Amino acid sequence: METRTRRILLMRPLLQAVVIGVLVVSLAGCQTLRWPWFGRDRQAVEPLETEAQAEQAELDDLDRAPPRVIDPQVERRNIKVPKIDDENFELGITYGFLSIEDFGTNPVYGLTGTYHVTEDFFLRADYGRSDAGRTSFETLGGNVQLLTESERQFTSYSLSLGYNFLPGEVFVGRNVAMNSSFYLLGGIGWTKFAGDDRLTYNFGAGFKVLPSDWLALHIGVQDRVFDSDLLGRTKVTNNIEMVLGVTAFF
Amino acid sequence: MERSITTIRFRLRKTSLALLVACIALSSAVMPTARAADDGADRKRDKYLQLFVTLPYLELRTGPGRGYPVTQVAARDESVDVLKRKTDWFKVRTERGTEGWARATDMARLQLADGTPFKVDFGDLEGFARHRWELGIMAGDYGGATLIGGHLAYSLNDSLKIDFAASKFLGNATNGQKFELGLNHVFLPNRRWSPFFELGTGIVEIQPRVTLVAPIDRTDQTAYVGAGMRFYISRRFFLRGEYRWNTVFTSRDDNEEIKEWKLGLAAFF
Repeated sequence: METRTRRILLMRPLLQAVVIGVLVVSLAGCQTLRWPWFGRDRQAVEPLETEAQAEQAELDDLDRAPPRVIDPQVERRNIKVPKIDDENFELGITYGFLSIEDFGTNPVYGLTGTYHVTEDFFLRADYGRSDAGRTSFETLGGNVQLLTESERQFTSYSLSLGYNFLPGEVFVGRNVAMNSSFYLLGGIGWTKFAGDDRLTYNFGAGFKVLPSDWLALHIGVQDRVFDSDLLGRTKVTNNIEMVLGVTAFF
Repeated sequence: MERSITTIRFRLRKTSLALLVACIALSSAVMPTARAADDGADRKRDKYLQLFVTLPYLELRTGPGRGYPVTQVAARDESVDVLKRKTDWFKVRTERGTEGWARATDMARLQLADGTPFKVDFGDLEGFARHRWELGIMAGDYGGATLIGGHLAYSLNDSLKIDFAASKFLGNATNGQKFELGLNHVFLPNRRWSPFFELGTGIVEIQPRVTLVAPIDRTDQTAYVGAGMRFYISRRFFLRGEYRWNTVFTSRDDNEEIKEWKLGLAAFF
Protein backbone atom coordinates (compact mmCIF):
# COMPACT_ATOMS: atom_id res chain seq x y z
CA MET A 1 0.00 0.00 0.00
CA GLU A 2 1.27 3.35 -0.92
CA THR A 3 1.86 5.82 1.90
CA ARG A 4 0.36 9.35 1.83
CA THR A 5 3.77 10.90 1.33
CA ARG A 6 4.40 8.76 -1.61
CA ARG A 7 1.05 9.67 -2.92
CA ILE A 8 1.92 13.36 -2.76
CA LEU A 9 5.22 12.74 -4.42
CA LEU A 10 3.47 10.79 -7.10
CA MET A 11 1.02 13.60 -7.67
CA ARG A 12 1.00 15.50 -10.83
CA PRO A 13 3.73 18.15 -11.10
CA LEU A 14 1.20 21.00 -11.25
CA LEU A 15 -0.46 19.98 -8.06
CA GLN A 16 2.98 19.59 -6.45
CA ALA A 17 3.86 23.13 -7.41
CA VAL A 18 0.62 24.44 -5.89
CA VAL A 19 1.17 22.55 -2.61
CA ILE A 20 4.78 23.73 -2.31
CA GLY A 21 3.75 27.27 -3.12
CA VAL A 22 1.13 27.24 -0.34
CA LEU A 23 3.73 25.89 2.11
CA VAL A 24 6.30 28.58 1.20
CA VAL A 25 3.77 31.40 1.51
CA SER A 26 2.55 30.15 4.88
CA LEU A 27 6.12 29.86 6.18
CA ALA A 28 6.89 33.39 5.03
CA GLY A 29 3.75 34.48 6.87
CA CYS A 30 5.15 32.88 10.01
CA GLN A 31 8.23 34.98 9.68
CA THR A 32 6.20 38.17 9.79
CA LEU A 33 4.71 37.21 13.13
CA ARG A 34 6.83 38.19 16.15
CA TRP A 35 7.29 35.04 18.03
CA PRO A 36 8.76 35.52 21.49
CA TRP A 37 11.88 33.60 20.65
CA PHE A 38 12.17 35.01 17.21
CA GLY A 39 14.96 37.50 16.49
CA ARG A 40 16.03 37.82 20.14
CA ASP A 41 19.73 38.28 19.29
CA ARG A 42 18.90 40.66 16.46
CA GLN A 43 17.17 43.12 18.83
CA ALA A 44 20.43 43.48 20.80
CA VAL A 45 22.23 44.61 17.70
CA GLU A 46 19.54 47.05 16.51
CA PRO A 47 20.15 49.99 18.99
CA LEU A 48 23.81 50.03 17.99
CA GLU A 49 22.78 50.53 14.43
CA THR A 50 20.36 53.36 15.27
CA GLU A 51 22.98 55.19 17.34
CA ALA A 52 25.39 55.15 14.46
CA GLN A 53 22.60 56.35 12.19
CA ALA A 54 21.70 59.16 14.58
CA GLU A 55 25.27 60.33 14.68
CA GLN A 56 25.45 60.32 10.94
CA ALA A 57 22.16 62.23 10.78
CA GLU A 58 23.48 64.79 13.22
CA LEU A 59 26.58 65.32 11.11
CA ASP A 60 24.39 65.74 8.08
CA ASP A 61 22.26 68.32 9.93
CA LEU A 62 25.32 70.32 10.81
CA ASP A 63 26.42 70.42 7.21
CA ARG A 64 23.05 71.53 6.06
CA ALA A 65 21.76 75.09 6.74
CA PRO A 66 18.97 75.19 9.35
CA PRO A 67 15.52 75.37 7.83
CA ARG A 68 14.18 78.95 7.83
CA VAL A 69 10.71 79.08 9.23
CA ILE A 70 10.27 82.84 8.78
CA ASP A 71 12.39 84.99 6.56
CA PRO A 72 12.38 88.42 8.32
CA GLN A 73 12.00 91.31 5.93
CA VAL A 74 12.23 93.95 8.71
CA GLU A 75 15.45 95.93 8.93
CA ARG A 76 16.81 96.42 12.44
CA ARG A 77 16.26 99.96 13.70
CA ASN A 78 19.54 101.63 14.32
CA ILE A 79 19.07 103.89 17.32
CA LYS A 80 21.31 106.89 17.50
CA VAL A 81 22.04 107.81 21.10
CA PRO A 82 22.23 111.61 21.30
CA LYS A 83 24.89 112.99 23.58
CA ILE A 84 23.53 114.17 26.90
CA ASP A 85 24.49 117.70 27.82
CA ASP A 86 26.70 117.71 30.92
CA GLU A 87 26.53 120.76 33.14
CA ASN A 88 29.24 120.15 35.69
CA PHE A 89 31.42 123.20 35.08
CA GLU A 90 30.53 126.58 36.51
CA LEU A 91 32.24 129.83 35.55
CA GLY A 92 31.53 133.29 36.83
CA ILE A 93 32.51 136.67 38.11
CA THR A 94 32.55 138.04 41.64
CA TYR A 95 32.52 141.47 43.16
CA GLY A 96 32.68 142.51 46.78
CA PHE A 97 34.82 143.86 49.56
CA LEU A 98 38.13 142.70 50.94
CA SER A 99 39.49 143.77 54.26
CA ILE A 100 43.30 143.59 54.01
CA GLU A 101 44.74 143.51 57.52
CA ASP A 102 46.27 146.91 58.35
CA PHE A 103 45.42 148.27 54.90
CA GLY A 104 41.69 148.94 55.16
CA THR A 105 38.70 147.61 53.27
CA ASN A 106 38.61 147.91 49.51
CA PRO A 107 36.57 146.62 46.57
CA VAL A 108 37.62 143.26 45.15
CA TYR A 109 36.63 141.69 41.88
CA GLY A 110 37.43 138.24 40.60
CA LEU A 111 36.83 135.19 38.50
CA THR A 112 35.69 131.83 39.73
CA GLY A 113 35.66 128.39 38.10
CA THR A 114 34.17 125.25 39.60
CA TYR A 115 33.97 121.61 38.64
CA HIS A 116 31.19 119.73 40.38
CA VAL A 117 32.40 116.22 41.01
CA THR A 118 29.39 114.89 42.88
CA GLU A 119 26.27 116.55 44.20
CA ASP A 120 28.19 117.10 47.45
CA PHE A 121 31.76 117.91 46.49
CA PHE A 122 33.36 120.36 44.08
CA LEU A 123 36.78 121.66 43.12
CA ARG A 124 37.09 125.38 42.72
CA ALA A 125 39.70 127.85 41.49
CA ASP A 126 39.43 131.53 42.37
CA TYR A 127 41.20 134.65 41.22
CA GLY A 128 40.74 137.94 43.04
CA ARG A 129 42.12 141.43 42.56
CA SER A 130 42.05 144.40 44.87
CA ASP A 131 44.06 147.48 45.76
CA ALA A 132 45.20 148.03 49.31
CA GLY A 133 44.58 151.38 51.01
CA ARG A 134 46.81 153.20 53.43
CA THR A 135 47.69 151.95 56.89
CA SER A 136 46.85 154.15 59.87
CA PHE A 137 50.60 154.62 60.30
CA GLU A 138 50.85 156.12 56.81
CA THR A 139 47.78 158.29 57.33
CA LEU A 140 49.06 159.70 60.61
CA GLY A 141 52.71 159.91 59.54
CA GLY A 142 52.06 162.39 56.75
CA ASN A 143 54.49 161.65 53.95
CA VAL A 144 55.40 158.10 54.96
CA GLN A 145 54.85 155.54 52.16
CA LEU A 146 55.18 151.88 53.10
CA LEU A 147 54.40 150.56 49.64
CA THR A 148 54.55 151.85 46.09
CA GLU A 149 51.37 151.96 44.02
CA SER A 150 52.17 148.71 42.17
CA GLU A 151 52.99 146.98 45.46
CA ARG A 152 49.54 147.90 46.73
CA GLN A 153 47.96 145.56 44.22
CA PHE A 154 46.57 142.58 46.03
CA THR A 155 46.12 139.51 43.83
CA SER A 156 44.98 136.18 45.21
CA TYR A 157 44.83 132.74 43.63
CA SER A 158 43.30 129.76 45.37
CA LEU A 159 42.44 126.15 44.74
CA SER A 160 39.74 124.82 47.01
CA LEU A 161 37.65 121.82 47.80
CA GLY A 162 34.02 122.60 48.52
CA TYR A 163 31.15 120.80 50.12
CA ASN A 164 27.49 121.54 49.47
CA PHE A 165 25.16 121.18 52.40
CA LEU A 166 21.61 122.11 53.38
CA PRO A 167 20.14 121.98 49.87
CA GLY A 168 16.73 123.55 49.68
CA GLU A 169 14.42 125.96 47.97
CA VAL A 170 13.85 129.65 48.38
CA PHE A 171 10.50 131.16 47.54
CA VAL A 172 10.07 134.52 45.89
CA GLY A 173 6.44 135.53 46.16
CA ARG A 174 3.74 132.95 45.55
CA ASN A 175 4.77 131.44 42.24
CA VAL A 176 8.55 131.29 42.11
CA ALA A 177 10.64 128.64 43.81
CA MET A 178 14.39 128.51 43.26
CA ASN A 179 16.83 125.81 44.30
CA SER A 180 19.44 126.85 46.79
CA SER A 181 22.33 125.44 48.77
CA PHE A 182 24.94 126.40 51.35
CA TYR A 183 28.54 125.40 50.86
CA LEU A 184 31.80 125.25 52.77
CA LEU A 185 35.16 125.91 51.16
CA GLY A 186 38.73 125.26 52.15
CA GLY A 187 41.90 125.46 50.14
CA ILE A 188 45.39 126.58 49.48
CA GLY A 189 46.87 129.20 47.19
CA TRP A 190 49.07 132.22 47.05
CA THR A 191 48.70 135.95 47.35
CA LYS A 192 50.77 138.50 45.51
CA PHE A 193 50.98 141.53 47.75
CA ALA A 194 53.64 144.12 48.59
CA GLY A 195 55.93 142.74 45.88
CA ASP A 196 56.02 139.21 47.21
CA ASP A 197 54.13 135.94 46.78
CA ARG A 198 52.85 134.49 50.00
CA LEU A 199 51.51 131.01 50.66
CA THR A 200 47.86 131.48 51.59
CA TYR A 201 45.24 129.27 53.16
CA ASN A 202 41.65 130.12 52.48
CA PHE A 203 38.44 128.93 54.09
CA GLY A 204 34.92 130.17 54.03
CA ALA A 205 31.27 129.53 53.34
CA GLY A 206 28.72 130.63 50.85
CA PHE A 207 25.12 130.47 49.80
CA LYS A 208 23.89 130.05 46.25
CA VAL A 209 20.49 130.42 44.62
CA LEU A 210 19.72 129.03 41.17
CA PRO A 211 17.09 131.04 39.27
CA SER A 212 17.46 128.49 36.44
CA ASP A 213 19.41 125.28 35.92
CA TRP A 214 22.32 127.07 34.32
CA LEU A 215 22.49 130.28 36.34
CA ALA A 216 23.53 130.75 39.95
CA LEU A 217 23.78 133.75 42.26
CA HIS A 218 26.29 133.51 45.09
CA ILE A 219 27.05 135.30 48.28
CA GLY A 220 30.17 134.17 50.05
CA VAL A 221 32.61 134.97 52.81
CA GLN A 222 36.22 133.78 52.80
CA ASP A 223 39.19 134.34 55.05
CA ARG A 224 42.61 134.42 53.35
CA VAL A 225 45.33 133.73 55.86
CA PHE A 226 49.02 134.37 55.22
CA ASP A 227 52.18 135.38 57.08
CA SER A 228 53.25 138.97 56.67
CA ASP A 229 56.38 140.78 57.87
CA LEU A 230 55.48 144.17 56.41
CA LEU A 231 55.12 145.95 59.71
CA GLY A 232 58.34 144.88 61.37
CA ARG A 233 57.63 141.45 62.77
CA THR A 234 56.17 138.36 61.12
CA LYS A 235 52.54 137.80 61.97
CA VAL A 236 49.56 135.85 60.69
CA THR A 237 47.17 138.12 58.84
CA ASN A 238 43.49 137.42 58.28
CA ASN A 239 42.05 139.04 55.20
CA ILE A 240 38.32 138.63 55.09
CA GLU A 241 36.39 139.11 51.90
CA MET A 242 32.69 139.17 51.22
CA VAL A 243 31.62 138.84 47.61
CA LEU A 244 28.53 138.54 45.43
CA GLY A 245 28.86 136.37 42.36
CA VAL A 246 27.07 135.39 39.19
CA THR A 247 27.98 132.06 37.62
CA ALA A 248 26.79 130.01 34.68
CA PHE A 249 26.84 126.22 34.34
CA PHE A 250 27.95 124.61 31.10
CA MET B 1 -35.45 156.46 10.19
CA GLU B 2 -35.97 152.77 9.96
CA ARG B 3 -33.14 150.65 8.69
CA SER B 4 -33.90 148.51 5.73
CA ILE B 5 -33.33 144.80 6.16
CA THR B 6 -31.24 144.66 3.00
CA THR B 7 -28.75 147.15 4.35
CA ILE B 8 -28.26 145.11 7.50
CA ARG B 9 -27.85 141.97 5.44
CA PHE B 10 -25.36 143.74 3.23
CA ARG B 11 -23.48 144.93 6.25
CA LEU B 12 -23.44 141.43 7.70
CA ARG B 13 -22.19 140.09 4.44
CA LYS B 14 -19.51 142.76 4.39
CA THR B 15 -18.33 141.99 7.92
CA SER B 16 -18.38 138.25 7.30
CA LEU B 17 -16.41 138.82 4.10
CA ALA B 18 -13.89 140.95 6.01
CA LEU B 19 -13.68 138.27 8.68
CA LEU B 20 -13.12 135.61 6.04
CA VAL B 21 -10.38 137.65 4.37
CA ALA B 22 -8.77 138.28 7.76
CA CYS B 23 -8.98 134.59 8.57
CA ILE B 24 -7.31 133.59 5.31
CA ALA B 25 -4.63 136.21 5.75
CA LEU B 26 -4.04 135.14 9.32
CA SER B 27 -3.96 131.44 8.56
CA SER B 28 -1.59 131.96 5.64
CA ALA B 29 0.59 134.07 7.87
CA VAL B 30 0.41 131.67 10.79
CA MET B 31 0.54 128.33 8.99
CA PRO B 32 4.17 128.40 7.83
CA THR B 33 5.39 129.51 11.24
CA ALA B 34 3.27 126.84 12.88
CA ARG B 35 4.83 124.26 10.58
CA ALA B 36 8.27 125.67 11.32
CA ALA B 37 7.53 125.42 15.03
CA ASP B 38 6.47 121.78 14.51
CA ASP B 39 9.72 121.07 12.68
CA GLY B 40 11.64 122.73 15.47
CA ALA B 41 9.85 120.61 18.04
CA ASP B 42 10.57 117.47 16.01
CA ARG B 43 14.21 118.35 15.73
CA LYS B 44 14.31 119.07 19.43
CA ARG B 45 12.67 115.76 20.16
CA ASP B 46 15.32 114.06 18.02
CA LYS B 47 18.00 115.98 19.84
CA TYR B 48 17.09 114.44 23.18
CA LEU B 49 17.55 110.83 24.11
CA GLN B 50 14.24 109.03 24.62
CA LEU B 51 14.11 106.38 27.32
CA PHE B 52 11.36 104.06 28.51
CA VAL B 53 10.52 103.51 32.13
CA THR B 54 10.74 99.85 33.12
CA LEU B 55 10.60 100.52 36.85
CA PRO B 56 7.19 100.66 38.54
CA TYR B 57 7.77 104.43 38.49
CA LEU B 58 10.61 106.90 38.12
CA GLU B 59 10.89 109.51 40.86
CA LEU B 60 11.47 113.09 39.70
CA ARG B 61 12.83 115.70 42.07
CA THR B 62 12.82 119.48 41.89
CA GLY B 63 16.62 119.67 41.92
CA PRO B 64 19.76 117.64 41.27
CA GLY B 65 20.29 116.37 44.79
CA ARG B 66 18.86 113.88 47.26
CA GLY B 67 17.68 116.71 49.51
CA TYR B 68 15.24 118.10 46.97
CA PRO B 69 11.64 116.86 47.20
CA VAL B 70 10.04 114.33 44.84
CA THR B 71 7.13 116.11 43.17
CA GLN B 72 6.48 114.04 40.03
CA VAL B 73 6.77 110.47 38.82
CA ALA B 74 6.90 108.87 35.39
CA ALA B 75 4.95 105.59 35.35
CA ARG B 76 6.03 102.27 33.87
CA ASP B 77 6.07 102.15 30.03
CA GLU B 78 5.99 105.93 29.77
CA SER B 79 8.82 107.57 27.89
CA VAL B 80 11.04 110.40 29.10
CA ASP B 81 13.34 112.75 27.20
CA VAL B 82 16.76 113.25 28.79
CA LEU B 83 17.50 116.98 28.78
CA LYS B 84 20.77 117.28 30.69
CA ARG B 85 22.98 115.85 33.36
CA LYS B 86 24.48 117.43 36.47
CA THR B 87 26.84 115.21 38.48
CA ASP B 88 24.82 112.02 39.08
CA TRP B 89 21.42 113.49 38.28
CA PHE B 90 19.54 113.61 34.98
CA LYS B 91 16.93 116.18 34.08
CA VAL B 92 14.11 114.51 32.15
CA ARG B 93 10.82 115.58 30.57
CA THR B 94 7.85 113.24 30.74
CA GLU B 95 5.24 112.71 28.01
CA ARG B 96 2.98 115.09 29.92
CA GLY B 97 5.62 117.78 29.68
CA THR B 98 6.58 117.90 33.35
CA GLU B 99 10.29 118.12 34.12
CA GLY B 100 12.30 116.83 37.02
CA TRP B 101 15.59 115.35 38.14
CA ALA B 102 16.11 111.58 38.32
CA ARG B 103 18.88 109.72 40.10
CA ALA B 104 21.56 108.07 37.91
CA THR B 105 21.09 104.68 39.56
CA ASP B 106 17.39 104.79 38.59
CA MET B 107 18.24 105.99 35.08
CA ALA B 108 20.53 102.97 34.60
CA ARG B 109 17.42 100.80 34.86
CA LEU B 110 15.61 102.48 31.97
CA GLN B 111 15.62 101.19 28.39
CA LEU B 112 16.26 102.65 24.96
CA ALA B 113 13.61 102.31 22.25
CA ASP B 114 15.21 99.05 21.03
CA GLY B 115 14.99 97.48 24.49
CA THR B 116 18.67 97.71 25.36
CA PRO B 117 19.47 99.11 28.81
CA PHE B 118 20.62 102.72 29.09
CA LYS B 119 24.32 102.81 29.96
CA VAL B 120 25.25 105.39 32.57
CA ASP B 121 28.85 106.14 33.34
CA PHE B 122 29.05 106.17 37.10
CA GLY B 123 31.87 107.34 39.27
CA ASP B 124 33.03 103.91 40.38
CA LEU B 125 36.09 101.68 40.26
CA GLU B 126 35.37 100.85 36.62
CA GLY B 127 35.22 104.55 35.85
CA PHE B 128 38.50 104.99 37.72
CA ALA B 129 40.08 102.47 35.34
CA ARG B 130 38.47 103.90 32.23
CA HIS B 131 37.79 107.60 31.76
CA ARG B 132 38.80 110.46 29.56
CA TRP B 133 39.69 113.42 31.77
CA GLU B 134 41.28 114.02 35.16
CA LEU B 135 41.38 117.26 37.07
CA GLY B 136 43.12 117.77 40.37
CA ILE B 137 44.81 120.02 42.89
CA MET B 138 48.16 119.23 44.49
CA ALA B 139 50.47 120.50 47.19
CA GLY B 140 53.97 119.48 48.15
CA ASP B 141 57.60 120.41 48.19
CA TYR B 142 59.82 121.60 45.33
CA GLY B 143 63.47 121.72 46.36
CA GLY B 144 62.56 123.09 49.79
CA ALA B 145 59.87 125.48 48.56
CA THR B 146 56.16 124.90 49.14
CA LEU B 147 54.47 123.82 45.95
CA ILE B 148 50.80 124.40 45.02
CA GLY B 149 49.37 123.40 41.70
CA GLY B 150 46.67 122.01 39.51
CA HIS B 151 46.78 119.39 36.80
CA LEU B 152 44.64 118.22 33.91
CA ALA B 153 45.14 114.86 32.22
CA TYR B 154 43.68 113.34 29.08
CA SER B 155 43.64 109.55 28.69
CA LEU B 156 44.94 108.20 25.40
CA ASN B 157 44.01 104.74 26.65
CA ASP B 158 43.48 103.12 30.06
CA SER B 159 47.19 103.24 30.87
CA LEU B 160 48.63 106.19 28.99
CA LYS B 161 47.76 109.79 29.79
CA ILE B 162 48.88 113.21 28.66
CA ASP B 163 49.38 115.28 31.77
CA PHE B 164 49.44 119.07 31.94
CA ALA B 165 50.36 120.77 35.22
CA ALA B 166 50.67 124.38 36.32
CA SER B 167 52.25 125.02 39.70
CA LYS B 168 53.52 127.77 41.90
CA PHE B 169 56.30 127.37 44.44
CA LEU B 170 57.00 129.65 47.39
CA GLY B 171 60.33 129.35 49.13
CA ASN B 172 62.46 131.31 51.54
CA ALA B 173 64.87 132.49 48.84
CA THR B 174 62.91 132.16 45.62
CA ASN B 175 59.42 132.06 44.31
CA GLY B 176 58.36 130.88 40.92
CA GLN B 177 56.01 128.99 38.72
CA LYS B 178 56.30 126.11 36.34
CA PHE B 179 54.23 124.68 33.51
CA GLU B 180 54.78 121.08 32.48
CA LEU B 181 53.55 118.67 29.85
CA GLY B 182 54.27 114.98 30.15
CA LEU B 183 53.27 111.40 29.59
CA ASN B 184 51.96 109.34 32.43
CA HIS B 185 51.89 105.55 32.31
CA VAL B 186 49.61 103.86 34.83
CA PHE B 187 50.28 100.25 35.73
CA LEU B 188 47.26 98.17 36.78
CA PRO B 189 44.74 100.93 36.03
CA ASN B 190 41.84 98.75 37.18
CA ARG B 191 43.17 98.32 40.73
CA ARG B 192 42.31 100.55 43.67
CA TRP B 193 46.03 101.17 44.19
CA SER B 194 47.67 101.82 40.84
CA PRO B 195 51.30 102.86 40.51
CA PHE B 196 52.46 105.07 37.67
CA PHE B 197 55.57 106.27 35.95
CA GLU B 198 55.95 109.68 34.33
CA LEU B 199 58.20 111.59 32.00
CA GLY B 200 57.89 115.14 30.78
CA THR B 201 59.22 118.57 30.09
CA GLY B 202 58.29 122.15 30.80
CA ILE B 203 59.43 125.62 31.69
CA VAL B 204 60.20 127.05 35.08
CA GLU B 205 60.27 130.73 35.97
CA ILE B 206 62.33 131.54 39.05
CA GLN B 207 62.05 134.88 40.80
CA PRO B 208 64.38 135.60 43.72
CA ARG B 209 62.47 137.24 46.56
CA VAL B 210 62.69 141.00 46.97
CA THR B 211 64.62 140.76 50.18
CA LEU B 212 67.54 139.25 48.25
CA VAL B 213 70.23 141.35 46.62
CA ALA B 214 70.20 140.18 42.99
CA PRO B 215 66.63 140.23 41.76
CA ILE B 216 67.15 138.60 38.35
CA ASP B 217 64.21 136.65 36.96
CA ARG B 218 65.06 133.69 34.85
CA THR B 219 63.11 131.26 32.74
CA ASP B 220 64.61 127.85 32.06
CA GLN B 221 63.58 124.66 30.41
CA THR B 222 63.08 121.72 32.70
CA ALA B 223 62.59 117.97 32.34
CA TYR B 224 61.39 115.45 34.85
CA VAL B 225 61.11 111.78 35.51
CA GLY B 226 58.94 110.50 38.31
CA ALA B 227 56.96 107.72 39.89
CA GLY B 228 53.89 107.72 42.03
CA MET B 229 50.77 106.03 43.25
CA ARG B 230 47.08 106.60 42.64
CA PHE B 231 44.49 105.53 45.17
CA TYR B 232 40.79 105.41 44.35
CA ILE B 233 38.79 106.86 47.26
CA SER B 234 35.14 106.80 46.24
CA ARG B 235 32.74 108.10 43.59
CA ARG B 236 34.86 110.18 41.20
CA PHE B 237 37.70 110.99 43.58
CA PHE B 238 41.19 109.60 43.87
CA LEU B 239 44.41 110.56 45.61
CA ARG B 240 47.61 111.01 43.68
CA GLY B 241 51.03 111.09 45.27
CA GLU B 242 54.32 111.27 43.42
CA TYR B 243 58.04 111.87 43.59
CA ARG B 244 59.89 113.59 40.74
CA TRP B 245 63.48 114.24 39.79
CA ASN B 246 63.68 117.54 37.92
CA THR B 247 66.56 118.75 35.84
CA VAL B 248 66.59 122.48 35.16
CA PHE B 249 68.64 123.35 32.07
CA THR B 250 70.15 126.61 33.28
CA SER B 251 72.19 129.05 31.22
CA ARG B 252 75.07 128.43 33.63
CA ASP B 253 77.59 125.62 33.26
CA ASP B 254 75.82 123.14 35.54
CA ASN B 255 72.29 121.93 35.31
CA GLU B 256 70.28 122.13 38.48
CA GLU B 257 68.80 119.01 40.03
CA ILE B 258 65.61 119.59 42.00
CA LYS B 259 63.74 116.95 43.94
CA GLU B 260 59.99 117.31 44.20
CA TRP B 261 57.19 115.46 45.96
CA LYS B 262 53.51 116.24 46.07
CA LEU B 263 50.17 114.84 47.12
CA GLY B 264 46.85 115.79 45.63
CA LEU B 265 43.17 115.17 45.28
CA ALA B 266 41.86 114.55 41.78
CA ALA B 267 38.60 113.72 40.08
CA PHE B 268 37.95 111.87 36.83
CA PHE B 269 35.18 112.48 34.33
